Amino acid sequence: MSEKNSYEVGFGSDAVKNPQRIVFITKKTSAKVKGAQPRQLMSYPHVVLREIIAFEIFTVALVVVALFWDAPLEQLANPLLTPNPAKAPWYFLGLQELLHYLPPVVAGVLIPTLVVVGLVVIPYFDVNIKGEPLWASNRRRRLAAFMGGVAVLLIVFGIHEAFDVVVPTVAFAALALAAYFAPPQGGRLMRYLRAQPLSWWIMSWFIAVSLTLTLVGTFFRGPGWSLVWSWR
Amino acid sequence: MAYPSREQWLERLRNTRVWKSVFRRGPARTNRTRSLAIFGNLFLHVVPAKVREKSLRVRATYYLGSFAFFLFIVLTVTGILLMLYYHPAALEAYSDMKDLRFVVSNGVLLRNLHRLAAQTMVLVVFWHMYHVFYRGGYRPPREFNWVVGVVLLLLTLFLSYTGYLLPWDQLAFWAITVGTNIIGYVPLVGHRTRFLLLGGNIIGENALLRFYVLHCVILPLLAGLFIAVHFWRIQKDGGLSVGESEERKEPLSVEATQVEQETVTVGESDERKEQL
Amino acid sequence: MSEPENQEPKSKAEDSTGINRRDFFNEVAGGAMGVAAVGAGIVTVKFISPNVLFEPPSSFRIGPPEDYPINSVTTLTDQLTYLVRTPQGFYAETMICQHLGCITAWHPNANLIECPCHGSRYKRDGAIVRGPTPRPLPHFAMRLMPDGTLLIDKSDIVPMPQILKV
Repeated sequence: MSEKNSYEVGFGSDAVKNPQRIVFITKKTSAKVKGAQPRQLMSYPHVVLREIIAFEIFTVALVVVALFWDAPLEQLANPLLTPNPAKAPWYFLGLQELLHYLPPVVAGVLIPTLVVVGLVVIPYFDVNIKGEPLWASNRRRRLAAFMGGVAVLLIVFGIHEAFDVVVPTVAFAALALAAYFAPPQGGRLMRYLRAQPLSWWIMSWFIAVSLTLTLVGTFFRGPGWSLVWSWR
Repeated sequence: MAYPSREQWLERLRNTRVWKSVFRRGPARTNRTRSLAIFGNLFLHVVPAKVREKSLRVRATYYLGSFAFFLFIVLTVTGILLMLYYHPAALEAYSDMKDLRFVVSNGVLLRNLHRLAAQTMVLVVFWHMYHVFYRGGYRPPREFNWVVGVVLLLLTLFLSYTGYLLPWDQLAFWAITVGTNIIGYVPLVGHRTRFLLLGGNIIGENALLRFYVLHCVILPLLAGLFIAVHFWRIQKDGGLSVGESEERKEPLSVEATQVEQETVTVGESDERKEQL
Repeated sequence: MSEPENQEPKSKAEDSTGINRRDFFNEVAGGAMGVAAVGAGIVTVKFISPNVLFEPPSSFRIGPPEDYPINSVTTLTDQLTYLVRTPQGFYAETMICQHLGCITAWHPNANLIECPCHGSRYKRDGAIVRGPTPRPLPHFAMRLMPDGTLLIDKSDIVPMPQILKV
């Protein structure tokens, strides 16, 4: 057994196909990374106990609410009579609100698919991972692209008179513009906004729109999906 | 002779052969046995044996993922109990709901709990996702666990939605009518998918039974599977991603004083090939 | 240590086509599993699509034409069908909104059919007045039977201007 042979061990399984390998051999010590080691705790008992306590508190709270808040039960299902208005579960009311404005293929199929695909690809885009503030560099070009995107959205939803998409979109565009034009020593809000990357703007806009749609669908839609004040 | 205290009893119990045969360890006093308590246990071995202290702070995670998991447990328990009084048939489903309200002891409480937990779970899972997004928890090496999380979000929505039909009241029937008609708009396969999901063209007996099987068997199993993967990946990807932005501010220093490097190319030279 | 792992016997397995035996068997095994998976998928899909449906029959009779006055809209709730008699004759159309399947309602004063779910509106003959519905209400085939009663066949969709003259 020669000294040379011992280097081959553990550098890949197929030495026949890829015979070329580079090995760094250090004589005395390997390079050490002196990062600050965060303090660590043993999961047992620290995590396990905390989880058990959290579970107990949470379950008690849940039972207390369940004692006083009755689950609804309406009349027996009748395929011949649609209640007016017929509403989906609250978490789909944003979607139902969109269905009111847009063609079903767009609101029911295209947009949910895009949302899911959008969520899945978030961690695979370098733009998100680097998290460079949107208005940090290339300001002119980025502003043009940003406003272009906003314009397309406003046109698409404006044509269909989807006011509860248009309003949050306009609000967000206004915030982004304010962050763009604000002086470097602006207020706390402006400094915060200027530090945000593109992904932050998109996600926050998405949350604002879906929240608005869900709230409008839940509280402000009455018979025939017309706008009503729920407390009247 | 004084009676042994409770602690002493427990201590003796933990040192018995039976205890050790069940838990594969004695009392968890040392870091070694505490580690064994985690990875010697089928249910706990998916979580890391050690965690960063930061990740246990409430403000780091608000325990949102834990709460979502607690809700899953509550839903499983209450759901199995409710199954004991439920027939997935159009004639009986609604009267079973009435029975739960007026005949079965604590039927109202169990149904309320199940419903409340279901609605809360949707809320908590969304909140969890937004929280992870804003803390940058999806960054490498945690990309895939984010994707698993998206799958779990969809499973939560499907679970809640399939459960919506089971009471067979007006609310249920029309919510499902609207929802399944959306599927019909999917290009090419939409109508076929809807037909398979409903087991027919209208929402009737077949649809109720299928939603029941989806809600009680298929989707919970899938959710359980993905939850296990989700937890396990937290460990494999290096623990919860808390305070990473703070850590990055401290520059890493590399100590490289004593190092002498030597580069050697190792491989099969042509002469060695000939030898073979 | 000196014995290298994963050494494939090269010269033996390699034939004139350039495919060695191990690769060939890998392909065969993989292909067989693929075929089996597709077959299992087809069997499952066939199994879960029911062949017999216990759904209401698609055609029904509604009595003699004289029962329905001219310029009237009759709501046949059990069959989810509107029966309209104009001076020219009869036509029948569905009550099910073509948007997402809610049951529409006929409003005689407004002369409109309205959907409660998402606010779609149709004219009396099923033409779209206002979205979000993508399609007008389909019309069903009607026939006058030898015994003088009208028959509506919901499985037979006819183009809109078709009117049964009586």
